[in-house]
Parts: sequence; structure tokens; C-alpha cells
Amino acid sequence: MDRTRRNLAATVASAACLVAAGLLASAAPAAADDVIRFGAPLPLTGPLAPEAIKQKQGYDLWAEEANKAGGIDVGGKRYKVEIVYTDYQSNTPRSVQATEQMITQNKVNFLFGAFGSGAAKAASSVSEKYRIPTIAAAASSAQVYDQGYKFLFGTFTPNDTLTTPLTKLVREKAPDVKKVAILARNDLFPLAIAQELEKSAKANGMEVVYFEKYAINTLDHSAALSQMKALAPQWIFVTGYINDLLLVRKQMVDQQMKAPVVSMIAGPAYQEFIDAAGQSAENISSAAWWHPAVRYEGKDVFKSTVNYVKLFRDKYKATPDYAQASASAAGAIFQLAIEKAGSIDPQKVRDALASLDVMTFYGPVKFGPTGQIVSLEPPVFQIQGAKPVVLLPAAIKQGEFRLGVQ
Amino acid sequence: MLAAQVLINALVLGCLYACIAIGFSLVWGVLNVINLAHGSFIVLGAYGAWWLYHAFGIAPWYALAIVAPLFFVFGYAIQRSILNQVIAAPVLVTLTMTFGLDLLLNNVMIYFFTADFRKLTLSPPVGSLSFGGVVVPVDRLIALVLALALTFALYVILRRSRTGRAIVAVRLDRDAATLMGVDVKSIYAIAFGIGAVMAGCAGVLMALIFPISPLVSTAYLTKAFVVCVLGGLGSVSGALAGGLLLALIEGVGSVLFGPALATTLSFVLLIVFLVVRPQGLMGRKGFE
Repeated sequence: MDRTRRNLAATVASAACLVAAGLLASAAPAAADDVIRFGAPLPLTGPLAPEAIKQKQGYDLWAEEANKAGGIDVGGKRYKVEIVYTDYQSNTPRSVQATEQMITQNKVNFLFGAFGSGAAKAASSVSEKYRIPTIAAAASSAQVYDQGYKFLFGTFTPNDTLTTPLTKLVREKAPDVKKVAILARNDLFPLAIAQELEKSAKANGMEVVYFEKYAINTLDHSAALSQMKALAPQWIFVTGYINDLLLVRKQMVDQQMKAPVVSMIAGPAYQEFIDAAGQSAENISSAAWWHPAVRYEGKDVFKSTVNYVKLFRDKYKATPDYAQASASAAGAIFQLAIEKAGSIDPQKVRDALASLDVMTFYGPVKFGPTGQIVSLEPPVFQIQGAKPVVLLPAAIKQGEFRLGVQ
Repeated sequence: MLAAQVLINALVLGCLYACIAIGFSLVWGVLNVINLAHGSFIVLGAYGAWWLYHAFGIAPWYALAIVAPLFFVFGYAIQRSILNQVIAAPVLVTLTMTFGLDLLLNNVMIYFFTADFRKLTLSPPVGSLSFGGVVVPVDRLIALVLALALTFALYVILRRSRTGRAIVAVRLDRDAATLMGVDVKSIYAIAFGIGAVMAGCAGVLMALIFPISPLVSTAYLTKAFVVCVLGGLGSVSGALAGGLLLALIEGVGSVLFGPALATTLSFVLLIVFLVVRPQGLMGRKGFE
């Protein structure tokens, strides 16, 4: 027994040494001058891992395309792109440490923000302290950008830019819709967007007959849905992430709930949602910051939305969604700003970002005084025939709004 | 009408919770091992059902017959090769061991299946039955019947078979069982194997109902935990009572206080039980 224990201890110790050595090796900065290093703290493990993987795909695609084109042109000299990843394990406090470590030890030149509004906000205090230009590719809440920071930029417009056009569309196309029921995941972004919808629904003369939050990791929504069903709402609005929304949708069908309009944020923008929900995804409406159906001709490395979607499909055998596109866009925007500044000096690149006004595959890019993008018009879409069909903005409309969700 | 619907929902969900918890309860009760990999076992079973349905068109109720023996071998092997080595150590060691096992299994599943959510969608869909306005989804009903059948089968095995009696004997008094000639190590492995079978089968049934991803394993594990504390460890009736009580609390709590507080309420109840009645509703009896 004793010997077994000693052996075990020795094994554990040697394993620890190996791991430590591996960490040291991966943390040592590559000594190359013609490289621009971008730090990307991501929740690569833990509950947010699927989202982090999307972000990473977006960054990697950008780095690959930028390097294929010879790198970033800085005043005539070409620099290769290198992205340094750190896993902060879906643990927000750790995202702050990871960000600091990237700046002080990995010596990154620029940063991508941590995932989501909460972590991006927390980590932005560090990048601001070291004056490292940062683009947050997945943070929409206005509270992230109202801290007076000069080095933080974001590629998502505020939450109300998703809910306002959606409500407008419902009011126009379904004037009989008066009673709205809202079920929101009790989490920063899903709850914020539900509150925005409540506001815009009331402003448009609708009555919010049900507004409830459900806890993270809820396995069963039948009680909430039964209660909602008894109120006979005409518009059912549910927020959460893909697993929540799949489950709610399934249980709505189980409970034979029908309504003229059913909207969900933020699952239907993902292909996995449509695949998994099957027939029950039909006529679900939603809004997102970007959609593969939008059509923009840009000045960035990806050139156009069509080309971006093609490159993404070639590399990952899947259609990009807004999360991946936003990450790629963050990289492409950095590239445009660095090339515009003609320097990798943080202050100059920051100024170039602040004054940027350019068209990209992602849409028009112009940052407001807080650093949050103000130029995007997020598309409203509906699943029709197992495909997302853009309804708004009118310029890229692909179909008519259909009423009735069975 | 709402009250009737909420009660029916709770009844159905309660049986599913019992099904999730029963293997966990057996392993905890007999082996004194808190199997933190139980949630991942369930998810693995769900992937089994998903794969069998999508690759070969085998419906989940037939998939049970394929998944069950595989999980028995899987569970038996894990107990024999890994857990039996540390079974005599303090509970923290086995806890850490199963925690490690859970991490491993979970990440292997993420590697092979990715963390994307999948859904086993029966085609054609089985729909719902409606009794005067009260709706019961047929897939949940099927899962419920099968869950009860499995639970009953386990009850009979433990009560009637020689191995089952040996498991109960080990559960009640390990040393006395050893003196009576019971091969404790083998019984441990069989009990863990049965626990794994129950988890795998629960996974197959849950695949009908819940989205499948390695990430939901924690949700299953916490439910199993609460059910065991509420109902009492190691007994079939305890798991059923715990499952029903939990579903009822969640359902009624959701309607009265809102769904956000329903989960909180169930954990408050958990704390109350731990303080007032730590043995759970059905006491600390063995598998009679």
C-alpha cells in the first residue's frame, strides 16, 4: 500500500513537471521581429467552450487569410500575424489574469476581448491600464463601453438594435398581436435583451402578459410554459443559449402551444439550432448582428461577405454565424487600422481605430465615442424551409414575414 | 386546468428524475462511492441512442437492449480496474477518482462529438396526447413507462436474484457479507456495472427529451444528487420518492414564485432535508 502510494506520488510529481515544462515552453514568446502578436483570452474549456471555439475559428481564419496575403502592411513592411490563445476556463476572474499575463509575459501587441459582456468588461480594465488596443468581438451590452475607456472597441451594436427592428416588424406585419409573453434565461445578455424587448413591446402599445426568468441549467420548462399557455399570448419571446432554446421549443411542441409569432434569441442564428430543432424551427423569428445572407463588398482582407462565407466553408465545412464572423471582423478591422496608422504603436493604432469609417465583409465599420460599433444594422430573420431568411433591413430582404408557429 | 397540467408535468418529470438518479443512488448506497462521472455516463448513453438512431434507424426503445450490456461491461471494467484499487481509501479519494474520470470522459465526448447540441428527433414525431385540455407528450410517456420498467427490473433483481441479495448484503454490512463468503470485489464491480447500465439507459431515454451535449452532464449529476438526498440513498423507492418530490417542488414553485426561483427552492429543500432528515424520505434501508 505504502509503496503504491509512493509510486503514485512519484507519478503525479513527474506528470506535474511535464505539464509545467509544457506550459513554460508554450508561454515563451517567439523571438521574431516581423510578427504582430494578437492575444485572445478565451473560455476554451468549461460551459462557454462552444462559444470560444467559434471565436477561435473566426480569429484563425482571419490570421490564415492575412498571412496568405503576405501579412499586414505596416508602412511598406510586411508583418506576419500570430495569435496567442489562453484558456481562462469559463471563469471570469481568470480572464483578467489571462489578459494581464498576455500583456506582460507574452508581450502581445494587440488584444481581442474576452468572451461575452461580463468577461470583456472585467478584462478591459487591464488592457486599458497597459494601453493595449482591444477589440471585443462578443460583447454587446452598453455597460461594457460606458467606462470612459479609450482603448476598448467592440463589434456588436447595443442590445436594443436587435429588439427594436424585430418589434417594428411584428407591429407592421401582425397588427393583431397585442399580448406578449417573455421567458428569459437569468444571465447577463439573455436577460438584458429580454428587458429591451419588454421596453420596445410596451412602447409599441403591446401588453406584456408574462415576463419570467429561468435559472441557468434548467432541465424542464413545462411548468412555465403551461402557465404561459393559459395566458394565450400572441407573441412568445424566449431568450437563452442554444440548449435552452432547443429544450423550450421542444416543450412548446409537447404542450401543443401555438402563437402567431415566436421569436428566440440567440439560438436560431446557429445552424446547429436549425439542424437539431428540425420541423419545429419553422417560422421562428430572430435577430443577430450579422448573417451569412447579408451582402457587403469590403476593403478588408476578406473582400466580400460572399467570399468570407466561401472561405469559411472551405476551411471548416460549415456556414459561419455572427459569432465567428464578428471574430474574423475584429481581426480584419485591426488589420485595416494598423495599415491605416502605418505603425504598430498602440496609441497610433488606437487613434486609427477610433477614426475608422470603412466598409468590410461584416458591414460598415465605424465606432462611436464609447468605442462600440454604431454603423451596423443587425438583420432580422426567420427560419423558413429549414433556412434563415432575412426580413430586415429592407435592402437585403430575402422573403416575407410568415405568421403562425405550430 | 393549469393545476392539473402542472401536476401531470411533475408526475412525468418526477419519474424521469428517478430514472436519472437510480444508478447514482445504487452506487453511492452500496459502494459508498459518489460517482461524479454519473452525468457523463448518462450523456454517453444519450449519444449511443442518437448514433444508433441516426446511423441505423434503431429507435431508442430498441437501443436500450444494445446500450445496456455495453454499459455493464464498461462499468464493471471501470470498477475492477480503477475504483477497486482505491475503494478502501477515504471517500475523498474515490470522489477525486470519479471526478477525474468525469473530466476524462467529458473531454473525450467533446473531442468525438464536439460540444454542439444535438437532438434525437423521431420521424415521424410521436406528438402529444390531450385529455380534456391536459397535454401529455408521448415521448415522455414512453420514457416514463420504460424508466418504470427498468426500475422495477432492478428492484426484482436485487430482491430475487442471488447476486442481488449479495449486493444488498454488502450494502448492509460489508464485513458480515465477506464472512458469509460473498466476493465483495466482484459484487462491487457488478453493482457499479448495474449503476452504469441504469445511467446508460437513462441517457437513452433522456435523448428522447433533452438536447444532447457533454455540457449537460452537470445538470444530470446535480439532479441525481438532489433526488438522492431527498429520497434517501440506495433504494429504488427512495429514488422514486425523491424524483417525484423534486419535480413537484420545481413545478409548483415555478408557477407560484417564477421559474427562476424554482431551482433555488429545490436546493433550499435540499438543505432543509440535510439538516432535518439527512436519511431522506425513505430512510436508510437497503435494497429489500
